[in-house]
Amino acid sequence: MILVICEESDGGALWAANRLCCQGLAVAIITGADLATAERWVHRVGQAGAVFELDLADGRHLSGREIRGVLNRLSYLPADWIQRVGGVDRDYAIQEMYAFYLSWLHSLPGPLLNPPTPQGLCGNWRHPSVWVALAGRAGLVTPTYRQSSDDDPDAFWNPAMVPAPTTVFVVAEQVIAPPMLPEQLQNPCLRLAKTAGTTLLGIDFTLNTAGEWCFVGASMMPDLFRGGEPLIAALAEAFAA
Amino acid sequence: MILLCGIPSEDPLAMVAHALEKLGADFRFLNQRQVADYSIAWQIAIDKVDGTLSLGTETFRLADIDGAYLRLMDDRLLPELDGEVEGSPARRHARAFHDALYRWLEVAPGRIVNRSDPQGSNGSKPFQAQLISQYGLRVPETLITNDPDRVLAFQREHGTLIYKSISGVRSIVQTFGEDDLARLEHIRWCPVQFQALIRGTDMRVHVVGQEIYATEIISNTLDYRYARRNGGSAELRASVLPSDIAEKCVAVTHALGLAFAGIDLKITPDGEIFCFEVNPCPAFSFYEANTGQPIAFALARYLANHDHS
Repeated sequence: MILVICEESDGGALWAANRLCCQGLAVAIITGADLATAERWVHRVGQAGAVFELDLADGRHLSGREIRGVLNRLSYLPADWIQRVGGVDRDYAIQEMYAFYLSWLHSLPGPLLNPPTPQGLCGNWRHPSVWVALAGRAGLVTPTYRQSSDDDPDAFWNPAMVPAPTTVFVVAEQVIAPPMLPEQLQNPCLRLAKTAGTTLLGIDFTLNTAGEWCFVGASMMPDLFRGGEPLIAALAEAFAA
Repeated sequence: MILLCGIPSEDPLAMVAHALEKLGADFRFLNQRQVADYSIAWQIAIDKVDGTLSLGTETFRLADIDGAYLRLMDDRLLPELDGEVEGSPARRHARAFHDALYRWLEVAPGRIVNRSDPQGSNGSKPFQAQLISQYGLRVPETLITNDPDRVLAFQREHGTLIYKSISGVRSIVQTFGEDDLARLEHIRWCPVQFQALIRGTDMRVHVVGQEIYATEIISNTLDYRYARRNGGSAELRASVLPSDIAEKCVAVTHALGLAFAGIDLKITPDGEIFCFEVNPCPAFSFYEANTGQPIAFALARYLANHDHS
């Protein structure tokens, strides 16, 4: 069974789950709301490895035994759970639950697209400066990045949107790129995903004034609709591996 | 040049500064308390990271900084900002300076002890335990659950249990006792971490690059860090690890992306060794002061790239 973990509002993940079903894969969707109301969690770590059991409010029981792969689209704790937490220990409870989810997600078997990190439950939510540095080291053309103590730090998290960037998807060892992108971008894209520790990465490009495809940004939660059927085929292949 | 970032009077920073002096290495303090007089500007252009850092009257090229040791406190809590309202120019400058500094440190070439991202694994003890066990170090049997019945079954399986936070917050070890049994139903609100109690001798292992310093702690309390507070005692002495365990400690430190770490081990009476956690920002001064182990000197040599591979 392939597990798709996502918020209910993640249309791309729900669409991908449906398309993977159509490819003949057994898919189970667990939403943030499902997790927020889970009745029983058991997670063990020790000499025999890490295992879990999860009882959901709708009667479903999950353990690692039946999972063959995971499409993990949970960037943070489920919004429904956070809304239910209050009181003086709220911040502590959130820290504890985040630490728990990180360990639980890491314990899931099979190809994990994407593995959790301390900086984001579906991958490291890197600062734009780090993405530029990694992309440059991977061999992609990058814009110049500048930051100083005169700048508002928050502004870097909300850069000006590039109109209609072109997205390349890396799924495990496969690159799904629009036909107008040159083939020589493929290896740098693979290198970037590998360096970033991601197994599913969307990499945005735009044409710069020199006519080169220039790195704009990268996301562990790319818009899956944009990858279309080739992306679904790549996901199915990754889960079959 | 080497940058020592934090509050210069803090013991670990002061000890590394002293060691760098003895080495004759060129270093400067980035004293957070003087942030009002500091500025930084940097860029990544064609895969090269460079810029300038001004510390009062001195300005340095960032490409000339070969190493940095970070003991930074939360800039929002700096005494110099007491009385400054949220969003004041002084607060905005302190925040913008520290953000630009952190971002540069994450991508700067050179020996950064330690970068921010690799420190994250310590924020989830069971997550880090999974990583640690990949490198051949045994971790304690751990249960995280919101099911009281499973806790009781785990207790029957392992005997005495301890419980502690899953994250790095409020991380004080407590024995699971009668009082806790009476309030066990409370765990239904949020999963809680329980562990089989491992009896034995505590060992703190500091890894610096390829070097290793093991300190044995003889204590009569459950958590020796709080021995004095709890009316107990803790005696520290330099020790030596079996070579295979020493190699695993170095391997796990590097695998986590750390150049310097404090690893907590426990050695049972029958010689089994368990690893509890890898601390990415260890306050080593306590161990050095009690044993004379030259940890600061090792760190200084690592930063200065003396005798280190």
